Amino acid sequence: MLKMEGVQKIYRTDLVQTHALRSLSLEVEEGEFVAVTGPSGSGKTTFLNIAGLLETFDGGRYTLDGKDVSGLSDRERSKIRNVKIGFIFQSFNLIPDLNVYDNVDVPLRYRGLGGGDRDKRIKDALERVGLASRLKHLPSQLSGGQQQRVAIARALAGSPRILFADEPTGNLDSLMAREVMNMLEEINVQGTTIVMVTHDPELARRMHRNIHIMDGQASDFDHGSDSRSDAPVDRIAPRIVASV
Amino acid sequence: MEIRPILSALSRNKTGAFLIAAQIALTFAITINAAYVIRDRLATAARPSGVDDEDRVVAVRFAMTSSQNIDALQQRDVATLRGVPGVESVAITNQIPFGGGGWSGGFAVGNTRESPNVNAGMVFDNGDVLKTLGVKVIEGRYFTPDEIMVIDPDTSRDTPPVVLVTRELAKAMFPSGESVLGKTIYLGNTPDAPAVRIIGVIGLMETPWASVSAKHLYSVVFPQRLLQTENQYLLRLKPGALEQTKQAVLAALAKNDPDRVAGRDGLASIAKMRAKRYRGEHAVAGLLIAVTVFLLIVTASGIVGMASLWVNLRRKQIGVRRALGATRGDIVRYFVTENLLITGTGVVAGVIAAQLLNAALVRQMTLPQLPWPGLAFGVVALIVLGVGSVLGPAVRASRLSPALATRSV
Ligand SMILES: Nc1ncnc2c1ncn2[C@@H]1O[C@H](COP(=O)(O)OP(=O)(O)O)[C@@H](O)[C@H]1O
Ligand SMILES: [Mg+2]
Repeated sequence: MLKMEGVQKIYRTDLVQTHALRSLSLEVEEGEFVAVTGPSGSGKTTFLNIAGLLETFDGGRYTLDGKDVSGLSDRERSKIRNVKIGFIFQSFNLIPDLNVYDNVDVPLRYRGLGGGDRDKRIKDALERVGLASRLKHLPSQLSGGQQQRVAIARALAGSPRILFADEPTGNLDSLMAREVMNMLEEINVQGTTIVMVTHDPELARRMHRNIHIMDGQASDFDHGSDSRSDAPVDRIAPRIVASV
Repeated sequence: MEIRPILSALSRNKTGAFLIAAQIALTFAITINAAYVIRDRLATAARPSGVDDEDRVVAVRFAMTSSQNIDALQQRDVATLRGVPGVESVAITNQIPFGGGGWSGGFAVGNTRESPNVNAGMVFDNGDVLKTLGVKVIEGRYFTPDEIMVIDPDTSRDTPPVVLVTRELAKAMFPSGESVLGKTIYLGNTPDAPAVRIIGVIGLMETPWASVSAKHLYSVVFPQRLLQTENQYLLRLKPGALEQTKQAVLAALAKNDPDRVAGRDGLASIAKMRAKRYRGEHAVAGLLIAVTVFLLIVTASGIVGMASLWVNLRRKQIGVRRALGATRGDIVRYFVTENLLITGTGVVAGVIAAQLLNAALVRQMTLPQLPWPGLAFGVVALIVLGVGSVLGPAVRASRLSPALATRSV
């Protein structure tokens, strides 16, 4: 589904060069739910931006859904983001001036879908996240958890092949965070590949597999088949760090 | 494409949108009327005078001293001026196009009180005036040499029996369109008014005052040389000969009569007198052009400023839209569409405001009503201005990185 080999990313400003990714290699199979962990500043968001085609990279190879994406034009990248990828952001990133319905509609309009098709997709997606009754609400009239569920609906409405989530529960209290995580797991069970960045070891523990990024390089950590069991958090977290 | 969501987003940012729309409406109302006045004034200033080459026809005006024999001096002057190199023809007249002052009188088709009087310029032609001006007889004939009368106003009240009229005057006096050749007209509508017969019609010939009304082309040409002390000679020069001829002409005239007082302008071309006559029109047009350009710049800056502000306020949102699949073109389109909605609203309000302002202007000044093609042009021009102004900020917005969606700003 997603394969990076020796991917590098260097941020250049006038004074400094930051090697945000040194030589990142990793693979995500179709249907997986992968957590990307690592300390702050280690390059998790950079990885997610490159994986989600939000940013270009400086070296290495990256194939997404069987396609080498390094040479694509901005337009082609936009199209892939629009059709194949769904994004969920830490700060929800709903458009404040648009109501729930119109927010979910945004990517569908860029796709040029017909009105009837869009309407059905919007309502189905909002149904799935349990917000079918809030179509006319503005984001400011919703709780954080509800806003994130609208964002999930927006990501799902386009039936993406893969979902990228950057700290999706980072701005939520634990109750709402659990709600959102349950939803993502359900979506994954229904077949959508999910790559989630988190620095929360408890969340990471629930995933099939953890990819730990440290200093712009990744190391894999497989929880095995029983990874969703209630293994104590403090046993896992040190192991992740230790494995680097 | 996405008008409804743009509208609903706009409805939550009403103040800025309203201000820009109001500014556009005001700009439209003022500039469209200003443009119309400008066009009106420039059209007046560009009216043809009938003089075929205004740079080559020059006038000398002066007052003679009364001790001289005016008849002899006029003939001597004409002979001398014809000898000046660069001079092609010389005429003696009482008034010249754009000259400012001159003779006019009321002309009527009958000599009874009921006959309407039409005011027209009275041009005295010594037999050389039309040739010197380059004005052609378009119907009938010109004067024969023996029709030219020499009239001393101190001793004679004679009027020549035949005249030429301008085409415009002929139309005004005989609106039915029949030929005016052979018709008699009267210098006034009283029983004792002198009668003159029309023997020819000439084309355009500007009057000295070049008024704004249609009357500026009404003239009657009399075959006469008037022996008065205030004199005007008309000269037709070879192309480009004005500068070199000037001194020679003035020197020749001074030699013939050292006591004569040359007019303030000395030697002035018709072109120069035209410019002087229409200075007011050009000043008004210039001022209004400056106001119009200023307003347009202010409006364009307002749009650029507002659009830039909105782009900055929506950086995150633009990044999110890009992340969700908007192409750069989609982002440009978004801002252009938004601007079109605002500009369109402003222009519609502007069309209404323009009509109201125009109605007021029509009452105040002699202006015809705004023509619809002009309004349509104004609408298109302002929309182009709006789109042109928003394009810069819109393109800048489209260059924002989709990564803004994940990087907090
Ligand atoms: N646009 C940028 N310009 C310069 N440096 C950047 C930029 N984005 C991220 N970085 C740097 O790259 C490194 C990795 O950042 P990031 O991927 O955001 O880390 P994480 O998400 O793991 O906290 C950090 O040192 C960060 O300062
Ligand atoms: Mg991050």
